[in-house]
Amino acid sequence: MNAFLQALINGITIGGQYTLLVLGFSIIWGVLGVINFAHGEFVMLGAYGAWYANKEWDIEPLLSAVPIFFIMFGVGFVLQKVLVNRIIDRDHLVSLLVMFSVSIILANSVKLIFDADNRRTGTNLKGPLDITDAISIPKKQIVVLLVGLFVLLALSTFLQRTRLGKSIRAAAQNREAAKIVGIDIQWVYAFTFALCIAITAVAGAVSSPLVNTQPFMGPPLTLYAFVITALAGLGSIKGAFGGAMLLGVMQSMFTQYIDGIGSNLGIIASFGLLVVMLIVRPQGLFGGLAPVDAGGH
Amino acid sequence: MSNASRSKALQSVGMVLGLAVIAWLFYMPVHGNKAEVTTWTLLLTSVALAVNWNLTGGFTGYVDFGHAVWFGIGGYVSMILITPRSSLQAGWVPENWPIWPSIILGALAAGLVANIVGRFTLKLSGAYFSIAMLGFFVFMREVVRVSKPITNGGTSLDVNNLEIIGSANYWYYIQLSLVIALVAFSWWLRRTRFGSSLVAIREDEIGAEMRGINTTRNKVWVFTFSAFSTGLFGGMVSFQGSSIEPDTAFIEVRTIDAVMGSMLGGLGSVMGPVLGMTVLYLLRNVLWANLLDYHLLAQGVLLASIVLFLPKGIIGLFGGQTGNIRKMLGMSEREGSRTSTFDGMESSFDEDGNIREGARTTRLASEAEVEVPGI
Repeated sequence: MNAFLQALINGITIGGQYTLLVLGFSIIWGVLGVINFAHGEFVMLGAYGAWYANKEWDIEPLLSAVPIFFIMFGVGFVLQKVLVNRIIDRDHLVSLLVMFSVSIILANSVKLIFDADNRRTGTNLKGPLDITDAISIPKKQIVVLLVGLFVLLALSTFLQRTRLGKSIRAAAQNREAAKIVGIDIQWVYAFTFALCIAITAVAGAVSSPLVNTQPFMGPPLTLYAFVITALAGLGSIKGAFGGAMLLGVMQSMFTQYIDGIGSNLGIIASFGLLVVMLIVRPQGLFGGLAPVDAGGH
Repeated sequence: MSNASRSKALQSVGMVLGLAVIAWLFYMPVHGNKAEVTTWTLLLTSVALAVNWNLTGGFTGYVDFGHAVWFGIGGYVSMILITPRSSLQAGWVPENWPIWPSIILGALAAGLVANIVGRFTLKLSGAYFSIAMLGFFVFMREVVRVSKPITNGGTSLDVNNLEIIGSANYWYYIQLSLVIALVAFSWWLRRTRFGSSLVAIREDEIGAEMRGINTTRNKVWVFTFSAFSTGLFGGMVSFQGSSIEPDTAFIEVRTIDAVMGSMLGGLGSVMGPVLGMTVLYLLRNVLWANLLDYHLLAQGVLLASIVLFLPKGIIGLFGGQTGNIRKMLGMSEREGSRTSTFDGMESSFDEDGNIREGARTTRLASEAEVEVPGI
């Protein structure tokens, strides 16, 4: 029983990490219709930012996440204006390939600057928090989970309550109608992209004490974002949370109960699920801003 | 000079050049050293993969983002057949299989898996197909890592008897002949009714279906062939290296190269992938060899530039037709038109009521046949 609870709690904390990871990806896809193939590279940039700040000035990743948020907001804004805007109305293939090029460029630029060594960001939050004698959670995991939940709540409040948030949802549901009622679609796109990139970089920053940071960590993260988005439904905040938790708990259970190859089986199950979900239930388990139009043409 | 006669002239120039290149390629190993032959063999493999990828990605417009999976399956099945090492295999796999039957069985296995998987994934449209195939690629790589009794897990599976591996020249000539055959095949295929139906699928799938083309069957079969052929090369390359492991057999770079080569040369044309892959290879080995660390960066910049500024590829520069790529890439397509279901009818008009560029979307398969593709 303790083993099960421990695995469940581990799964939930991994789920928190995934939630933070997937939100930006899912919303960019839902609102702009662009599949951000460079998603994982923005996580990587955030992680490098936190690592550098910690190494040079001894700042906690949790604190450096704040300036990283604003810097990456700016980066995202510029990138949207310069590049993403050009591909927004084109076919998915074009955006896929262009964003894929961006991912190659970012990963290799970082490699040239910092070389390809694995790095781990330091943190003062060490040791576990004991819940019972047998069950405990590492403190740095809790931080990620809490930041994940905070971003989740802040984002959904923003989208539900504010005028700009409502504009974003309107743009996701019907671009033409949104334009007709006077929404400045260009501004909405730029803001959405910038916000999502900023959140994504924060995901990288706060989880950098947990995983190794290196220039080529991005592609697997992008793939996980795909898996969760396919589970969740496009642009759905609730769905992103549900999908992330489902994936986290599933992987943690595999690792707990199957020796040796458990983590591989977790990956197999995740990607098997991706393919099956796309075929069987393209709108995701939880519905979303817009249906994933996988069957249509 | 009219467009038609210019393209005729270009075609004959291309033909002569092509024959000269082929003659040189056959003569090359006579005085070339072993390293050179090996380098050219590597290029031939990349060209073959690009040609195969182009059959689905270029002709039908279904972009397979996990194409390397067929390479891996072909390689693994053939290597498993020839290197029985565990008790599990010893029972049903006879030892010391000859090399070619195992390569062909590997390729058939890749084709079979593609046939089954394609039946489901080829129903997905555009980007969702790409993602599903990418997912399948990662899925298979992990399956191979986990199936330790059969595949030896994450470590390599080696050929025990090194004598069965042929010389560098042997593989060079076989791959050269196969690549020529493949290009000839895709040239021929493009001219058949079946090939035209593939292009019709790319141009307007619903329209093609309405005209009575069994789009699903045709997509699945061309996908099956492209997987079979890539699997064949997977087997051959594994034997040349005399070992196989998940990280080299299932490697994204192979897919990326195939996509980039095809895009650079001209997506959907017959010669495009050959030309593009060769240029890419030369760029990498000649120009960027001195850049060392920067070459991947340069490649990223190049890919973005091709997609944004040269959507018809090198072939397009010479006036060769690659099919209505602009439409395929959605460049003349306005937003909103995606929502209409009867593409052939409603979306022929844009929001202002004008007939859209390239609106003749419901073209017959027989009509598409008239269109002469690039050299």
